[in-house]
Amino acid sequence: MKRNDLIGGLFFLSVGVIFAVYARSVDIGTLDEPGSGFLPLWAGVLLVLLSAALILKTVFKKFEAGEPFFPESDSWKRVGMIVLSLVAYNFLLKPLGLILVTFLFVAFLVKCIFPQTWLKTVATATLSTAAVQLIFVSLLELRLPKGLLGF
Amino acid sequence: MDIMNHLMQGAAVAFQPMNLLFCFIGVLMGTLVGVLPGLGPTAAIALLLPVSFHIPPVATIIMLAGIYYGAMYGGSTTSILVNMPGEAASVITCLDGHQMAKQGRAGPALGISAIGSFIAGTIGIVGVMLLAPPMAKFALAFGPTEYFSMMLFGIVIIIYMSSGSILKDFMTAAFGLLLGTIGMDAIAGTQRLTFGVLELADGIGFIPAVMGLFGISEILMNVERVVATTLVTEKVKNFLPSMQDMKESIRPILRGSFFGFLIGVLPGPGPVISTYTSYAMEKKLSKTPEKFGTGHIAGVAGPEAANNAASSGAMIPLFTLGIPANSVIAVLLGAFMIHGLQPGPMFIAKYPDIFWGTIVSMYLGNAMLLVLNLPLIPLWIKVLKVPYAILFPLILIFCLIGVYSLNFSQVEIGLMIGFGVLGYFMRKFKFEMAPLILALVLGPMMESNLRLTLLINQGDASIFVTKPISAVFIAVSALLIFSTMIPSIRNRRSKFKEKLGEDDM
Repeated sequence: MKRNDLIGGLFFLSVGVIFAVYARSVDIGTLDEPGSGFLPLWAGVLLVLLSAALILKTVFKKFEAGEPFFPESDSWKRVGMIVLSLVAYNFLLKPLGLILVTFLFVAFLVKCIFPQTWLKTVATATLSTAAVQLIFVSLLELRLPKGLLGF
Repeated sequence: MDIMNHLMQGAAVAFQPMNLLFCFIGVLMGTLVGVLPGLGPTAAIALLLPVSFHIPPVATIIMLAGIYYGAMYGGSTTSILVNMPGEAASVITCLDGHQMAKQGRAGPALGISAIGSFIAGTIGIVGVMLLAPPMAKFALAFGPTEYFSMMLFGIVIIIYMSSGSILKDFMTAAFGLLLGTIGMDAIAGTQRLTFGVLELADGIGFIPAVMGLFGISEILMNVERVVATTLVTEKVKNFLPSMQDMKESIRPILRGSFFGFLIGVLPGPGPVISTYTSYAMEKKLSKTPEKFGTGHIAGVAGPEAANNAASSGAMIPLFTLGIPANSVIAVLLGAFMIHGLQPGPMFIAKYPDIFWGTIVSMYLGNAMLLVLNLPLIPLWIKVLKVPYAILFPLILIFCLIGVYSLNFSQVEIGLMIGFGVLGYFMRKFKFEMAPLILALVLGPMMESNLRLTLLINQGDASIFVTKPISAVFIAVSALLIFSTMIPSIRNRRSKFKEKLGEDDM
């Protein structure tokens, strides 16, 4: 679809530019003695050229109505909530500790994404937290953050 | 006999209790993943990579290979009972398998796919055993020049076989190459392109990347829709197919195994393509082609055999050349590298215990699956009843803690989330994942081989087309790229792709 290819093209174009520019800060070398920056530079240039070709191809294409970005009206809420809770997990893992943060994370997702009953929510969260503790802490003996609860 | 000695040596490895256990865990997990729709084998192997850090290399490879061929078994269960493919290679099985289930013949359909898979798996392993060592010997003549050309060829053929636009595929491949250059430069021993982030000094972690691209992004795609599934719930019984069923199925199984294996050896999404090929072939050869699609047992047996044989076939380029044929194998190759193992022509000679141990464990795994699969079907039906609403938070938790457990690094969790979002947009915008992951895995090796070649030959790049083996790879790659520009081939290709329309294999 036109809009999608345009956004994708621009994204990869900028990635290519960033890499090609950064590659110049390390030794590029010569053809008979290629250095660290050799491949990043030329792969970056290749990506820029390919992206430019995609953008040009898209610009000259007739507009066509494609599928909407989200298939259902509240899809974006579910996707957004999951990404945000992943980020929150990452930041709360150390301060809250493995057990608490895992319980809250699972409970939130079960209750809020495709809402389940409270009983199912608490049961899923409790069982999965116990399983995590068993597999990663007891069996694999990993030192995961203990946090608030202290165990 | 040489091969008998090797097999004995392999058996000594595979029968160690520890390895037996991990083989069992692998095939069980694989079947589970195959059964669950919305969790492909690539994501499953990615999910278990962090765990593999804590067990020895042989056990890791045995377990991960078990997941791969186990998933081929499990996928058919979901296709037959729910009419929803558990993974891409079982799409075809829905056609006749679910029809059979509707007619109350779910038992024989499940039975024949397990038996067909077992026969095919066994034939496939014999093929690997016989073909891999001579192939490795042939590849011994490869130097850096040949390696570079062969890897380039591997990427080109993945792009040629993938379902998207060629231009976009080359973009994602170039992007994968770039990502692979972040961190340590193996030749100069210096750091580069870390963008000032300390954690990137060793490069982008392969595990956070694949877990994000395959695990997280798949979940983000799945939660977009509310899906209700219809399960054939009545009691499934009589797994054993009748004599008549066996008679109708045995030829499709043998043909499916043979061609599936050959298709699997070639780079590309072998297991998926092999099922389409087998189905089309059986329909053409059948005296009653009109029966296909109405619950004909040959339409289940052939493709199910083919996808299993193809998944064994894909082990050959992995073990002998170090070239992954598809993205599942690419993740498997990543697991090898994490353990400091470099598959290639020298691999079988250098690590006979790992190679032959894995081969023998595949025999064992296939036997386990045959025994496991049918009695466990009631359990899989229960698993299918667990709603996705409860399942996906568990997968996410496993990803989060799995990645964190590697280096206890929040940056790596962040990377995984970032790759998850990137993968989500790539799926939305129809950029294929396979070229990216292949280029990411092969990139560092390609770079070293390219730079070595240029160094040895004083910058003379024409060496790539003057050395015969390398020239063949380059010529075929060029031919494939140009052929996509010829309109008639392009049309046929895109028609074929529409049928496939799946990026996971």
